[in-house]
Amino acid sequence: MARRRKTSAKKGRDDDVRIIAGFVLGSILTVIMLLVVIIAPPATIGPSEGELAPDFSADAYNGVNWQNFKLSDTFDYEWEEGEEGEWILVQFIDTDCPYCWTEGETMSELYSQWSDNVEFITVTVELSINNHNSDRAEVEAFRDKTSYGTDENDGDGCNSGRDNCLNRPGTIHNWNYIEGSSSIMKDWEVTGTPFIAILKPDGYVAWNQYENLQEDIESAMERLVGGSE
Amino acid sequence: MNDALTDPVLIIFILGLAISSYLMIAKNDKKTSMLMISSLSFAVVGIISSAYTYIIHNKMVVQGTTSFCSSEGIVQCGSVIGDPQWNNLFGVPWGIFGIISFSILIFLSLCLYLDRYAKWSEDYLNYAWWAGMAGLPFVALLVIIELTQVEGAPHICPFCTIAHLSLIGYVGSIYFLRIRRNMGKWSDNEE
Repeated sequence: MARRRKTSAKKGRDDDVRIIAGFVLGSILTVIMLLVVIIAPPATIGPSEGELAPDFSADAYNGVNWQNFKLSDTFDYEWEEGEEGEWILVQFIDTDCPYCWTEGETMSELYSQWSDNVEFITVTVELSINNHNSDRAEVEAFRDKTSYGTDENDGDGCNSGRDNCLNRPGTIHNWNYIEGSSSIMKDWEVTGTPFIAILKPDGYVAWNQYENLQEDIESAMERLVGGSE
Repeated sequence: MNDALTDPVLIIFILGLAISSYLMIAKNDKKTSMLMISSLSFAVVGIISSAYTYIIHNKMVVQGTTSFCSSEGIVQCGSVIGDPQWNNLFGVPWGIFGIISFSILIFLSLCLYLDRYAKWSEDYLNYAWWAGMAGLPFVALLVIIELTQVEGAPHICPFCTIAHLSLIGYVGSIYFLRIRRNMGKWSDNEE
């Protein structure tokens, strides 16, 4: 008769302690997440109306030089509904996009009417289309209306290389032009340009162009900000 | 002294790390148990500090500032957790990654502590080792970001550093546990 092999290895407990460990971990996580929600509930961040606008930090051209710019630095966190404050207009453009080219004039008009109550910000992005190459020199020329490229349709200049940036409709844009990126576009869910969002002074999105196709930007500004000059 | 370094919450975290480290290195006749408690302790400090950085993140996003951590000087949170470009991975705040990662480590260590002789214990010890090791490149990346990439770099975020040190300590505890297991000193009374 074979003798049973004697082993020195200790045997584990019969009950599966992993279930107990799971419950303990679940309890720890519940307490932690409850504390987080009580102390500092997370904000819903996104470009949709009612959401906190996605923050970004990037280089910006102010007409003189390129400096770091952080969107949230323009927010007034103390602002409350009904109070006066500086609203924020965020425009996304591609300097080679024909619609952005013509919107240059609309933006100049908006600025002349609301520059006292609204901070204007233009984020320049590069769409994945042939002849859409928005380098810094082109961005500067688009903003400042300075000579860049030719008026021939030769791919050189603004508006898909059809025009010299000097001839952009509208006046010089005296506000920050931000050097955008694909991650900023993704955060803002920008699929095409131009795109405009109006933010309340505390940074929450008040108007999103994609969600208001029936209302033009001038009407939205009048309705939300009011008091044009 | 920098305000951030005299924060009472930070001092509690440092105390937690010190106790965990003592459990890891102190000589004791129940060394295996002590190492298991040490790994658990490191993971608990890690999960709480990660949650704390997530709280700071939420405060920074909603209020633009926080009283939970200094925004001035080299040792501060404001320029690190408040940097929109670097305070997240694919839109998920680093604090959330920390909470999830340390949850996994707590589970593995707790299972080992509750039954070190279970048939899955060796596998779980290896999982804990590899999970901890997998986090180290992220710690290195975050330290590089703090020192070179965030606005006004270099900066050191003290609460982020607590989470980083917790992970390093955890890996250390698991390393010694693996040595004990490989040397046949898995039971407390086998010295």
